Amino acid sequence: MTDLATKVAAALEGSVLPSVIARGASLRVLAAEDGVATLEVTGSPGAVVPLAARIEAQVRAAVPEITAVRIAAPGQRPPPEGAGSPAEQARRVLDTEVNPAIAAHGGHVTLDGVDRGLARIRLEGGCQGCSLAEVTVRQGIEPLLRARVPGIAGVVDVTDHEAGTQPFFSAEKR
Amino acid sequence: MTAVNRRPMAEAGENSAAGQSVPRVLLLVPARTYRAADFLAAAGRMGLDLVVGSDGALPLGGRPVVHVSAGDLPGTAGRIMALGTRFDAVVAVDTPMLVLAALVSGRMGLPHNPVQAVIAANDKAEQRRRWAAAAVPQPAFQVVPAGASDDALRRAAGEAGLPCVVKAVSLSASQGVLRADNPAAAVTAARRIRRILAAARRPAHEPLVVEEYVPGPELSIDGLLTDGGLAVTAVFDKPCTPDGPTFEETVLITPSRLPGPAQDAAIATAGRAARALGLTHGPVHAELRIGQRRGQARPVMLELAARSIGGLCSRALHFGNNMSLEELVLANALGRRIATSRPTAGPSGVVMLPVPRRGVLRAVEGRGDAAAVPGITGLTITIPTGQHVHPLPDGDRYLGFIFAEADTREEVEGALANARGRLRVVIR
Repeated sequence: MTDLATKVAAALEGSVLPSVIARGASLRVLAAEDGVATLEVTGSPGAVVPLAARIEAQVRAAVPEITAVRIAAPGQRPPPEGAGSPAEQARRVLDTEVNPAIAAHGGHVTLDGVDRGLARIRLEGGCQGCSLAEVTVRQGIEPLLRARVPGIAGVVDVTDHEAGTQPFFSAEKR
Repeated sequence: MTAVNRRPMAEAGENSAAGQSVPRVLLLVPARTYRAADFLAAAGRMGLDLVVGSDGALPLGGRPVVHVSAGDLPGTAGRIMALGTRFDAVVAVDTPMLVLAALVSGRMGLPHNPVQAVIAANDKAEQRRRWAAAAVPQPAFQVVPAGASDDALRRAAGEAGLPCVVKAVSLSASQGVLRADNPAAAVTAARRIRRILAAARRPAHEPLVVEEYVPGPELSIDGLLTDGGLAVTAVFDKPCTPDGPTFEETVLITPSRLPGPAQDAAIATAGRAARALGLTHGPVHAELRIGQRRGQARPVMLELAARSIGGLCSRALHFGNNMSLEELVLANALGRRIATSRPTAGPSGVVMLPVPRRGVLRAVEGRGDAAAVPGITGLTITIPTGQHVHPLPDGDRYLGFIFAEADTREEVEGALANARGRLRVVIR
């Protein structure tokens, strides 16, 4: 790791990293050169999105040689030129970043459509009727789609959760 | 009580459009709760910077946002503190997270209930002891140790008074609660409750409570404590509460029909009960009956929990500016003054649908007909078809919830009964 990269890592460690970890993600410095720090996010990709501006501000304040911060998810490919409609982009995000993760709970997410900036999603399998589905939507899927797809401002869960037959977590009255 | 130390919110501004600080709340969400969605929606409407802690592994990223475990309180609290993240409030969404929320709040210097008070509120035997010490009106009771003989149980039933109610101390939602009309029935009830506790993997050393059965109207009181002062958010009548042997929670109607002085007495009793447990902050949900003693009606404490009303029942309540009960709970946790704490809408109610018999739930038919009943504002079935269901006292889940609003309490109750009558629950 270069001296500059070490400085960036130290800046993260002492400021924003605890908040990133608190949201279920982590950051590491991939490179710091030509004034650009490239960070890799691991864990919950949507967790870093609300912090992106703060991460850049704190790194730039602590390391004056850095003028820009780029945050990349592992294996993330930049959207190709002419990436398509918001719906097409959202489907791509769901297919490549969300569904591989929630498959671990037997879940799957499909996009019904995008209307006036709102992505209508449908949860299936283990996510349908799961008592923590709303957490997954609000803390994971929504911030991710908002970050990756410029035309999306929010997510509407149109799932018929009552029809779910295999929820990963069932609600109980406590 | 730990001194209040409102932390600055210098690190809490990342979600704010104008770069201004927004309060950051650690929301502790147990994996198996009805309440997550309503708290998340409330936090969203309030624009809070939310961090979720859960004992349920969340699939995105392959790990929870913050992994917490109610079974490892010191370790979990240590992990949260080690994050170095400042929070303006720590809120438990449901019972399993209450003690952890109190512990973490205390370490962060936030207003909180003493941990021992929350532990006492989670234990029906300890509740009874503390209320007895503080002369809070309650049924006569006996605490029966785990290894007690049948003779000891019969004596306890006789001393509590017959008919009596035999209760598990750590379960809720009327699970593990049975009425017994004679000493032999108390022994039978205790054996059955022991089996329920074993199935629920409760510690084998848990005692049982045997208490006097108190006939009379039942009500529940929800409120928010601030420095020990109780602001009531709702008083529900429970007009269809059964006389036993099981005690399904069914219909709740608010505002209460009880005369003002009777409500005031019940609210005062609930406040005394909360203080006797040592609770000082946050939501409470109290259940009382109006019993008769020497010809005088008086409120008698049945139970009290250091949380808001359970299940989806809070959806029957709307406050000023259409705020939800969860928004009030979050605002209270943030130390905000709450302008109005009583529901602003007209009469409303909810019916919790008990499981009628054991088996596999195949269908709940007639939902469209039920939802079409005038006054019905919502109908949610919360157990998926294909799952095994168990009625009380063994089960711990309700089939679902029906909500109603109308001009009068009678219309609300009628709408709920009408809608419930149109549902056909198919269990095989």
